[in-house]
Amino acid sequence: MGRILVHSIRFILFVLVQILILNQFEPGLGAYAMLYPLFIMLLPFEMGTVPLMLVAFALGFSIDIFSNKFGLHASSAVVMAYFRPVIFKLFAPRDGYESENESNIYEMGYRWFIYVFGILLIIHHTWFFLIEHFKLNEFPLLMRKIGLSVLLSFTLSLLVQLIFVSRKKSER
Amino acid sequence: MRNLIAFYLRFRIFLVFAALQGVALYTYFTYSQFPKIQMLTTAGTANAEILKIRNSITKHFNLEYTNKQLMLENIRLREKLRQSVYRTDKGSIMIDDTTYKQQYTYIPGTVIDNTYDKRDNYMTIDVGRIDGIKMNMGVFSSRGVVGKIHFVGERYSIVKTVLTKNINIDVMLEPGGAFGLLKWDGKDARRGTLSGISNDMVVKKWSRVVTRGGSGIFPRGILVGRVESKKYIEGKPLWDIVVRFSEDFRNIQHVYVVKNLMLRELHQAEQSIPAEVEENEEL
Repeated sequence: MGRILVHSIRFILFVLVQILILNQFEPGLGAYAMLYPLFIMLLPFEMGTVPLMLVAFALGFSIDIFSNKFGLHASSAVVMAYFRPVIFKLFAPRDGYESENESNIYEMGYRWFIYVFGILLIIHHTWFFLIEHFKLNEFPLLMRKIGLSVLLSFTLSLLVQLIFVSRKKSER
Repeated sequence: MRNLIAFYLRFRIFLVFAALQGVALYTYFTYSQFPKIQMLTTAGTANAEILKIRNSITKHFNLEYTNKQLMLENIRLREKLRQSVYRTDKGSIMIDDTTYKQQYTYIPGTVIDNTYDKRDNYMTIDVGRIDGIKMNMGVFSSRGVVGKIHFVGERYSIVKTVLTKNINIDVMLEPGGAFGLLKWDGKDARRGTLSGISNDMVVKKWSRVVTRGGSGIFPRGILVGRVESKKYIEGKPLWDIVVRFSEDFRNIQHVYVVKNLMLRELHQAEQSIPAEVEENEEL
């Protein structure tokens, strides 16, 4: 029960940070910082793909209605949720995941987190900008946007965890 | 029936995925053409209230700059006042007021949400249906053209800015009067392209690009920007002209919405044009 509450509060915080701060932050060259993929990443291990996608859809849609994207965030969040179990299986440790663990950077290790979250973030951002542009003749611009945004979002996600996830609590 | 359930259980994950994608992509592609439900946009009352609170904090960051812009505009307008104009005819001819009839009025609005770095950039302003805003009205600021009204809510509305696909505002070059369509390629918030100008026309660098007023959305002569560079398009008799916008979308706070009082007359007149015969186009 406590975990559901924690994730609900997190849901609201991630939406607020995205719409109130990050949507206003436009550093130029088409880079767009998206932090909410981290929420999908941090959902519990034992969650099935279907509830995962429903939560991701709700998350994406609540960001959409505040940024005039009309369903674009929802679509890319669902894509990320769909691929999350696949990538997790690919990088599973030898004796599987323990359900009391959380998939953050301390409990799963830097190496694991960088690979898994990096791949998921690339999938998410590629889908987002492909659908947004919907034109392949803008390819160099598209690649620049995807590359810079992935770098920005990834750095931001790392920083957020370094600041807000306490190491002691994780080691317990 | 049993087979159907078995099928569902087997492909459950993919079916849910496809259904959610269907909903999300359907709303995305239809809404960016024509939004219908207010709640799903930033013009929804509750959504806009939150953005308004944010704007009430962040607007102070640009206060000095905005004040300066408004002051410059006041100076320009003050120069046109009666007391600052020398009257040459000294009252020998009475000017009948009925020679002039008001065609455009303006509704002032404040920008509460704005982007400039996406492929399609929208802006939320704090005037809506109760202030007399309607679909497709033009929007400009003291610096230049901003866009068109995309969606109207009760108290808020969404502006499709110049920085979107298919914005197609009809503009002309000054001097010369050659006209074309303004487009945006998604790369730079300060530059757009002007298409449809034949390359036998003389286009001078830094000549003004202003609205043409052909569709009744904008009055004639509102500044859009200046011609920055031009080059030939391979295989077409057209110029590829880069326009540097006079509007800076990165710090925009106050806009005016154009209300054309004679729009209905214009539409009625345009409807009386006979439809084009297709054979002519093939020739």
